[in-house]
Amino acid sequence: MKKQSKIEDVVFGKKVTITIDEQLNQLKGKVLAPGKLARANKNLRKVTSLPK
Amino acid sequence: MKYEIYNNYVAADDLSVFDFISSGRHGAIQKRIVFMPTELGHVYNLAFGDVDENGEVDDYIVSDNGDRNKILATVVAAISKYTERYPGRYVYFQGSTMERTRLYRMAIGINLDELSETFEIFCQTEDGTQFVRFAQNIQTNGFLVKRKIQ
Repeated sequence: MKKQSKIEDVVFGKKVTITIDEQLNQLKGKVLAPGKLARANKNLRKVTSLPK
Repeated sequence: MKYEIYNNYVAADDLSVFDFISSGRHGAIQKRIVFMPTELGHVYNLAFGDVDENGEVDDYIVSDNGDRNKILATVVAAISKYTERYPGRYVYFQGSTMERTRLYRMAIGINLDELSETFEIFCQTEDGTQFVRFAQNIQTNGFLVKRKIQ
């Protein structure tokens, strides 16, 4: 059976419901946008320091 | 925030993946927001778009569902939840095209006062070496967001 838990929250003054889903838990750690991540890594390679 | 958002998310428990349904003139379209660690410590890349047949995020697709502002506001809300959970993390994002990067710059600029209450917002310099505080007129390929410590 699919395990779910619901979180009611307010974000920027808006009520939101976040349902934690076991199927999405199984995606944790997987690279779900490999092209995008590769491009980000390339663009971040020259960064010498992060803003404080 | 003055914009409507999609307020029903399905998410992984670590908030690295959010799904929601865009509802508009082309029907219901599943959207996915993901936060992925980059090679630069503490920096997480944000990707969002439609979910393709492999479960990957396709951020080039133009779904033209008539709800662009609602989607962007929903992504901002997801960033807010994510950085609330992980205030030490930076979220990096770029448009998949120059037009989308320009759109993000305009959207941030229009809402800068409100966004700045929650986030520190930076632009990557054109030489790619550093980030400077967001300004409307800066040419940039990438944005960096961090939760403001209250």
